Amino acid sequence: MSPNFLGKNITMTETAEKIRDHFDLFHQPEYADMMDNKRKQFENSVGEAEVARVSDWTKTKEYQEKNFAREALVINPAKACQPLGAVFAAVGFEKTLPFVHGSQGCVAYYRSHFSRHFKEPTSCVSSSMTEDAAVFGGLNNMIDGLANSYALYKPKMIAVSTTCMAEVIGDDLNAFIKNAKEKGSVPQDFDVTYAHTPAFVGSHITGYDNVMKGVVEHFWDGKSGTVEKLERKPNESVNFLGGFDGNTVGNIREVKRIFELMGVDYTIFGDNSDVWDTPADGEFRMYDGGTTLEQAANAIHAKATISMQEFCTEKTLATIAAHGQEVVAFNSPIGITGTDRFLQAISRITGKAIPEALTKERGRLVDAIGDSSAHIHGKKFAIFGDPDLCYGLAEFILELGGEPTHILATNGNKTWEAKVQALLDSSPFGVNCKVYAGKDLWHLRSLLFTEPVDFMIGNTYGKYLERDTGTPLIRMGFPVFDRHHHHRSPIWGYQGTMNVLVKILDKIFDEMDKATNIAGKTDLSFDIIR
Amino acid sequence: MSRLADKIQDVFNEPGCATNQVKSEKQRKKGCSKPLQPGGAAGGCAFDGAKIALQPIVDVAHLVHGPIACEGSSWDNRGVKSSGSKLYRTGFTTDMSENDVVFGGEKRLFRSIREIIAKYDPPAVFVYQTCVPAMMGDDIVAVCKVAAEKFGKPCIPIIAPGFVGPKNLGNKLAGEAMLDYVIGTQEPEVTTPYDINIIGEYNVAGELWQVKPPLDELGIRILSCLSGDARYHEVAQSHRARAAMMVCSTAMINVARKMEERYGIPYFEGSFYGISDTSESLRQIARLLIARGADPELMDRVEALIAREEAKAWAAIKAYTPRLEGKKVLLITGGVKSWSVVLALQEAGLTIVGTSVKKSTKEDKERLKEMSPDVHLIDDLRPREMYKMLKEAQADIMLSGGRSQFVALKARMPWMDINQERSYAYCGYVGIVEMVRQIDKALSNPIWDQVRSAPPWEEVTWEARADAANAADAAQSAAAAMPAARVA
Repeated sequence: MSPNFLGKNITMTETAEKIRDHFDLFHQPEYADMMDNKRKQFENSVGEAEVARVSDWTKTKEYQEKNFAREALVINPAKACQPLGAVFAAVGFEKTLPFVHGSQGCVAYYRSHFSRHFKEPTSCVSSSMTEDAAVFGGLNNMIDGLANSYALYKPKMIAVSTTCMAEVIGDDLNAFIKNAKEKGSVPQDFDVTYAHTPAFVGSHITGYDNVMKGVVEHFWDGKSGTVEKLERKPNESVNFLGGFDGNTVGNIREVKRIFELMGVDYTIFGDNSDVWDTPADGEFRMYDGGTTLEQAANAIHAKATISMQEFCTEKTLATIAAHGQEVVAFNSPIGITGTDRFLQAISRITGKAIPEALTKERGRLVDAIGDSSAHIHGKKFAIFGDPDLCYGLAEFILELGGEPTHILATNGNKTWEAKVQALLDSSPFGVNCKVYAGKDLWHLRSLLFTEPVDFMIGNTYGKYLERDTGTPLIRMGFPVFDRHHHHRSPIWGYQGTMNVLVKILDKIFDEMDKATNIAGKTDLSFDIIR
Repeated sequence: MSRLADKIQDVFNEPGCATNQVKSEKQRKKGCSKPLQPGGAAGGCAFDGAKIALQPIVDVAHLVHGPIACEGSSWDNRGVKSSGSKLYRTGFTTDMSENDVVFGGEKRLFRSIREIIAKYDPPAVFVYQTCVPAMMGDDIVAVCKVAAEKFGKPCIPIIAPGFVGPKNLGNKLAGEAMLDYVIGTQEPEVTTPYDINIIGEYNVAGELWQVKPPLDELGIRILSCLSGDARYHEVAQSHRARAAMMVCSTAMINVARKMEERYGIPYFEGSFYGISDTSESLRQIARLLIARGADPELMDRVEALIAREEAKAWAAIKAYTPRLEGKKVLLITGGVKSWSVVLALQEAGLTIVGTSVKKSTKEDKERLKEMSPDVHLIDDLRPREMYKMLKEAQADIMLSGGRSQFVALKARMPWMDINQERSYAYCGYVGIVEMVRQIDKALSNPIWDQVRSAPPWEEVTWEARADAANAADAAQSAAAAMPAARVA
């Protein structure tokens, strides 16, 4: 017993013998009392009834109208910034160091973001611009930065992107890099690609696009005028662009397996599957795997380039097409029909038949869906995330007879909106569904109250919506911070689709169990067989 | 063992069953089911049958005496529901090991019973005999007797080890155990002229509860259900019922018949599947009760209820007609099949193109023919034949139990489960509407388009492939049937 600052004696339940962590500690009476007192005496809190009233009001149609009339404020955006996508793209190349020209704080964000999702370190440096750089320009930071990172981390290539700070003052990356090379920061023939990636334009998918376009232009168009432009000599290979993808580790491996089964000569353009999945064997791999620089250059000769995510690769595909290649874009195809289209495109381009092994996988998927789709049929879903993923998931849900009631992408544009609408119009299950481009998760919150759905598919940030609205969250996309290792499972191909199916079903059955698991009360249908 | 053999012979002689009575003495001794063919696919064993029949008695501890196989595979494996105790879902077994096999398992069994009573205090312990202890000679009747005396608690031996025969025999042996040890051992506090037993109804997915509300409304009390959502004391008091309805006739006809002999409880065989069958069953119940002293005005109330409920149900089904009109259905079912289900499906606009008649009477078959002249009557349910038939019938959907599901899917046939393990209840006036709703839902499931179409790059259609598979099958069976010709 000891008197607290109010002179009141309290008993501390925390003892050295039994240390409680944050899950339990603050539920102990002394903390509960303290917080209660604070609320009553110092926080000028309104009564519980008033809190409840306002809370209920935010669930109404009236509030939704006000919410959707928002003009300036964005609340809980489901998107990230361009440089994040830039770093994602950069680490997909062999021994490539992402170098972000701008303030170092931003870079710390990208690294922690990726580490939390992939449970792997992400190597990335910054030119650490400070106040004087902001005033006088960041040239010196570029010169010193490139020299230091080249000397310290021995990369084979450096991929420069920018933060807002450098973009606001208008630093010219091409000129800066040339300058730095002249000053001897890195050898003249050392590969430094660049892309302007201000966060105030677009989102992480734009950043991915810009870096990929930068890499293509660097290798194919004469490395900023330092060498001859490559001449395209078409061969039979295909290039593959995955796009910004939270499941990249599993997806890229699955796509490689499919290419190999079909006997296709392929180049994964930006392969992050190894760098974000390094083994624990005593060796720290700052770089691992990735598209080799030679492959990146030779990719110009490919017959065609396939992008798995159209809205992640708009500029890159245009650039590639301008070099004379056929480009084919998908929207994160998930499901039977989506995967059929993907495989048929590969088959058409390469002339290789779809092998029996894949036909069997398809049959197994059809079988699995037949076994359990009755549980998904008629269920309503809200889907949020990146535009392509939203499209792929919505198509799959329609295929299962589910209704993707709300489809929302903060970084979706009008073209995307029209495309998703066309998809909805093509299915009887899409009749009551709506697509929302440029809306945020606070908009979605209103929708989940006024037009409730059975399940929600999206990234970890959906858990707040799950808590507020009681809509169970199926985690998919980026980031997934609060569940581990999802990025290892593919969601593309028939096998990837199978993973998505199982994930959805697991959640449906979990909810069924939850609704029936109170002994003696709700457990009538707490069944072993579902 | 001789006792068990006698019991089995007793069960094989069933005066209540017309099929049984036309058999010769010799035939009858061989039992009801076709003898098992070594090497062929087989259904469940007698133990399984006994367990299934009694497990729905919810407040009893069901203790399986044997190695882990028996309880491990049967633990809570049917979706039977309880409105109270969940003890029936707890898996109790003696989990016999090698040592028990060498030294005998009786002591272990006795201790297991003691522990169950100490920990759970159930109204009774049912002890199931299985193959291994039966072969070793563990005398579970003796163990149960000693345990019952010692602990003052009914311990009921269920003697149906797997090797004595098929599942259906196990159902009947379980019924015998109830007759020998449970029924008539307790007296109800009150009885009314409106007390009935329902025999052979297991409350799968809560089906009993679809039938109970109309009975409640009529003031008819289910004194005991054998065994859906039953309590031990209800079964023990069931001998005081005034009439009985037998639902799944092949399972427990011996119980119904012997209760009539011993306690004078008249019974009829009825069904709650389909609208007209439900109505007819209600009338029968009323008829039997009135014959035994219930007020004849009961029948008026029954008729009023029937008129009201039938109108509601038909209207609800009719609403589906525009969506279901012309759709073709195959009915491949065990228990859940009667012409009244057929009637309901037809009312909803569906056409029955084929049905299994393995468990149907001659009368049923004639009726079916009358109602839909083009119907295929299917006797053989071997997967290969079923596959062929599924293909030939060109049905839009097959309604069947879980076992045929997989064949259906391989034959690319939409399918809906209406037997055990199902998640929805299809009994009574509401159940049949639910069934039509589920059929509608299953038919509109978009996956069937995928199931029926080949991969877009495949040039051979699924029909062609299925034809080829069947032709190969036919050729193979033809070749196998004529080995002599081949040699010559």
